[in-house]
Amino acid sequence: MVKVTLTVNNVKYELDVPPLERLIDTLRYRLGFTSVKEGCGRGECGSCIVLVNGNPVHSCLALTSRLDGAEITTLEGLAPAGKMHAIQVAYIEARGVQCGFCTPSFIMVTKALLDRVSDPDDKTIREWHSSVLCRCGSYPYYFEAVKRAAKYLKEGKVYFDEREVREKYHLKVLAR
Amino acid sequence: MVGIELVSIYKPKSLSDALEFLDKNAPDVKPIAGGTELLLLIRDKKIKPPKYLLDLYPLKKQLSYVKVENGIVRIGALTTVYELSQSILHRDKRFAGFVDVYDKFGTMALRFEATIGGNLNAATQYSDYITLMLVFDASVRLESVKGVRELKLSEFVLDKRKTALNPNELVTEVVFREPPLDSSSSFVKFDRREILIAGIVTEATYLHLEGDTIKDVRISFDMVAGRRIPARALKTEEFLRGKSFTSDLLEEAAEKVLPSEMSRVTDWWTTADYRLEMSKVSLKRGLKLAYERVKGVR
Repeated sequence: MVKVTLTVNNVKYELDVPPLERLIDTLRYRLGFTSVKEGCGRGECGSCIVLVNGNPVHSCLALTSRLDGAEITTLEGLAPAGKMHAIQVAYIEARGVQCGFCTPSFIMVTKALLDRVSDPDDKTIREWHSSVLCRCGSYPYYFEAVKRAAKYLKEGKVYFDEREVREKYHLKVLAR
Repeated sequence: MVGIELVSIYKPKSLSDALEFLDKNAPDVKPIAGGTELLLLIRDKKIKPPKYLLDLYPLKKQLSYVKVENGIVRIGALTTVYELSQSILHRDKRFAGFVDVYDKFGTMALRFEATIGGNLNAATQYSDYITLMLVFDASVRLESVKGVRELKLSEFVLDKRKTALNPNELVTEVVFREPPLDSSSSFVKFDRREILIAGIVTEATYLHLEGDTIKDVRISFDMVAGRRIPARALKTEEFLRGKSFTSDLLEEAAEKVLPSEMSRVTDWWTTADYRLEMSKVSLKRGLKLAYERVKGVR
């Protein structure tokens, strides 16, 4: 067993993991962050992408035991409680979601992209979107979502009120 | 993952610590860099799970760099493909081949994980950086506790998934001579879609011009003569060297000279005939692209 300290979504965890435990298993089954999805499990579909120290990484190809001291962000940690991140709102407004399986990864990839390039051109967006496969074919909608998110962030709107967004778009309102 | 619970992982404190561990425990150790290849091989049961994994992340600071100094280009083995894209190699037209490889390399997220050393060490015909580095006539630096040796890349890659790396050695650096000013390079990958694909034909070109005369040229393909690893098309190079760059010359090189040294295979993806035909096209495209880059048209 290997002792590792991970910071996941700004919370510190001290874990004892087998050497070959994959990050996706740690996140999903040990810590319960189920926005991380397993698709192919071999770094092709990109459904398991999370941010490790700000870089998009396939969590199915990363070993938890190698990530001592790393900072990991999943979709759950994108916005504080009761808030929604501008990227999430943009993805809702672009209405690309059909089954939603790949959406968390697309949002994380978009976050990594907009952290580096605040105003990405079309080629750059397509290049970064190449990381994730979407079999519903929502790429054009997601493409618009990135542009919309970039606009929000430029206007300084980073967080939106979750309840307001949910009510506006008739999404299930969580009792909070 | 089943059956691999018995593996333990070692985190070295320094490069010399890593080399000592390798020397003591070889051949039961597998160094792991990006992990995009090794973990899949273990998962697919293509190799036996090793007793120890040697984690190379702690050496990241030391072995991740791109330097151009005294006419020599040095790339640290742990440099990720994304880091390469942020380096001088992507801003200088002489290294334009690196941009071509990058544009069709895996997906964006994989580029953050895959390392240059890992790509060379994987030693398959799909390792695009081998095809590219061959035209730069690169060497790899292998280190062990006993010392350092440098091998030409063409001598390093022996066969598919087989390299000249001893079990107690580590690839630490890729080195090649800085190309002259009137030169450029290109890389062509041909397949049915743009990314996340191996390529049914890949080709790399290095071209050095003097006016319109080909002073030096190096060409490599994903496979040339039967063996399933990238190699140089030496006869075609010899034919082109010293001649004046014209479309007739390209036509002759592609139609007459290249087929004489290239044998292609038929497999699940496509037929040998189609592969050969596309190789001819790739040769012409690659040379033309490099020519236009030297001339500053592109």
